[in-house]
Amino acid sequence: MARRSEVETGGAVPAPAAQRRSQRLDQALELVFLLALWQVLSLWLGTYWISSPLATLAGLFRGLASGELLLHASYTAGEAAIGFLVGGIPAAALPFALRRMPVMTAILDPFMVGGYGAPKLALAPLFILWFGIGIESKVALVGVTVFFIVYFSTLSGIRALDTRLVQMAQVMDANEHAVARHIVFPGAVPYIFTGLRIAMPYSIGGAVIAELISANRGLGYLVQLRAMNYDTTGIFVALAATTCIVFLGNWLVNALERFLLRWRPPADAMLQADA
Amino acid sequence: MAAGAILEIRGLAKRFRARAPGAESPWIIRDLSFSVREGELLTIVGPSGAGKTTLLNMIAQTDTASGGEVRFRAQVAPLGDAKALRPGLSRQIGYITQDDNLLPWRTCLGNVLFPLEVQGRLDGQTRARAQSLVEAVGLAGFENHYPHELSGGMRKRTSLIRTLVYDPPVILMDEPFGAVDAQTRALLQADLLRLWGEGRKTIVFVTHDIAEAIALGDRTLVLSRAPASVKSEHLISIPRPRDIGGILTRPEFVTLYQAIRAEVA
Amino acid sequence: MSALEQASLVESAPGMNRRRLLVMAGRIGLAALLVLAWQVAADTAGDLYFPQPLAVARRIAEDTASGALPWNTYVTLRLSVIGFLLGCAAGILVPFLLRLSPRLTGAVEPYIMASVGVPKYALIPLFILWFGIDDAPKLWLIGLLVFYVVFIAVFAGIRNVDARLVTMARVLGASESVISRRVIWKSLTPFFFAALKIALPRAVSAAIIGEFLVGNAGLGFVIENSRQQVDSTGVFTGILVATALVLAINAVLERADRRVNAWRPVDRHMEI
Repeated sequence: MARRSEVETGGAVPAPAAQRRSQRLDQALELVFLLALWQVLSLWLGTYWISSPLATLAGLFRGLASGELLLHASYTAGEAAIGFLVGGIPAAALPFALRRMPVMTAILDPFMVGGYGAPKLALAPLFILWFGIGIESKVALVGVTVFFIVYFSTLSGIRALDTRLVQMAQVMDANEHAVARHIVFPGAVPYIFTGLRIAMPYSIGGAVIAELISANRGLGYLVQLRAMNYDTTGIFVALAATTCIVFLGNWLVNALERFLLRWRPPADAMLQADA
Repeated sequence: MAAGAILEIRGLAKRFRARAPGAESPWIIRDLSFSVREGELLTIVGPSGAGKTTLLNMIAQTDTASGGEVRFRAQVAPLGDAKALRPGLSRQIGYITQDDNLLPWRTCLGNVLFPLEVQGRLDGQTRARAQSLVEAVGLAGFENHYPHELSGGMRKRTSLIRTLVYDPPVILMDEPFGAVDAQTRALLQADLLRLWGEGRKTIVFVTHDIAEAIALGDRTLVLSRAPASVKSEHLISIPRPRDIGGILTRPEFVTLYQAIRAEVA
Repeated sequence: MSALEQASLVESAPGMNRRRLLVMAGRIGLAALLVLAWQVAADTAGDLYFPQPLAVARRIAEDTASGALPWNTYVTLRLSVIGFLLGCAAGILVPFLLRLSPRLTGAVEPYIMASVGVPKYALIPLFILWFGIDDAPKLWLIGLLVFYVVFIAVFAGIRNVDARLVTMARVLGASESVISRRVIWKSLTPFFFAALKIALPRAVSAAIIGEFLVGNAGLGFVIENSRQQVDSTGVFTGILVATALVLAINAVLERADRRVNAWRPVDRHMEI
């Protein structure tokens, strides 16, 4: 867990203001450099190979204005969101249901580990075979992918339960139900969110992969369609839109987490406490 | 049963399971007996590792005993079987542990209201009582702060009034002011004495700090090294209300301090 | 909770043994139940959706005997390993290069971190356009996926190296390359292993998905080609073999990690 958060924050150390400002400048310069490089490459190799930044931006606006991009994006986002719920809700609920059944948890363990480790994206053709090329097969793929991630993160949240808090509540005459509701559940929420945060890009990725393989709508389908028509700019536009959805999804999960977990000390303080 | 005793400990014993099969399992506590009068503030000192926390755990019924009994009023607590334990004996025994054990996802006031909520007793009256306790220990204005936003002393105060708010007849305290600086500690001690003076609860206060034991207690028990039992008993005749700061230089204090220190060392 | 824990602590050895037996029996029972459910599904839903378990077993045996299955597995594995090595090399090299210039690191890092959000699999059609239909687009995909995992781990690992250790080594007159090798690489091993455990199975996954979309060999090709021919037995066969392959790799890595990092507490990492 701790390792995960380190990986994500990159162990960021707060820099002094002046240093931060010069860093911002560097970053801005870098952005200009990257855009310029992109433009030069597209001029040099031709837009058949690499679309230019301007053309991509224009395509993005055209797609938005015509509603085409939004339509496909809403399919992809919808598949990811429904799959996220279909997989995530049972995955978060199951460890709570199994809390008092250690034998059952132990029986399930190798199956869950297997499901967690299995290459679920490879199931895409199977789901298409079962559920057709519509939204159902994508939802199934996303749901299966999300399920195992969230199951294990919730389980570790329940296992990390602070027994001292349970004891405190029991001394105060809290019953089993109150302990579950006021101690076990709130304590597991940060872990559930870790799972959701990790699962978010996978859910959109899963939907896109299933669309690439076989679909008649969605951003993955759009990428595939435009690739067949050698419309490089179109591919860039669809990719940009997909990336936007990933960012939007991450932002949503983070915002929800910040709101629900506002009781947590800021990350820096936590790292110090761990050390 | 001794007259006026609310809590009576008789021949209490605890041994842990042997590390290796066949090895002798060590006794932590053996043949420990004492009683606590209604409204008394009893302090217990002992060397570290003497099983003070284990003793309180058994009285609070969060841990089993290997022998002996604990009586609350006339009731005998079922201490033998882990599954029969009744932590806190149905709200009769409050327990303030070394760690404040505040729920990090609840605000200061939310933590204070927690016992009332789980006991189904949260109403206008109890809420008002919680609010007045918050004010009494100087936490007004911090009601909506989360534990990580409070200082160590504030957290200790929150933990203290969280138990006071549901009014258990007996309160056990396990070095509750351990991890704070000396100045805060003196303030917390003064707070405790003031609140105790108003409510006259029965308190069993465990500490390794001899000065604290004398300053707070009506009576101090000294525990022996493991296996722990009661080594001696000292009546503290320093009149109340006591001034925590001024008490340290009183001749009775100095005499008691030296006597107890000789026993603990 | 505490009462329960104590009860299980006190529980005698025969009780523990009985419990272990119960768990084993439960696992076997559940596995049998799953196979039975598959059989029932095959009998009721029909071959199109659920092929007969026996038919799949027979297909695995036949294709193994004919050499087709080993060949396709080899193709997928070979692709995964090459892509993995490429991605790994880049993922290790870039952070060490960045370490030489903190200024460059500050400027580049946010962009690399932001590009993590780009769904890599969606790049396949572009890779096909750029690099043709041979192994190249698949290698780019695998390499890219592996690169990010390794890069993030190594980058974070370098940040976590005790700065005092590095300063000390500098004071003692160690050259930058010695510092890189001795001090940093040593401290990085656990991070690197964590990344490896994530990246290698992911490389195989990526190879299979790449084969769905381009090529004419490999397990991914077997699965997707069977689907297009509505040969559900073939789909199941391919998926079973692919799953077994990835789980076997996981098990080997798990064992190796436990041996190398035996001193670290075991935790199941929250990653695919």
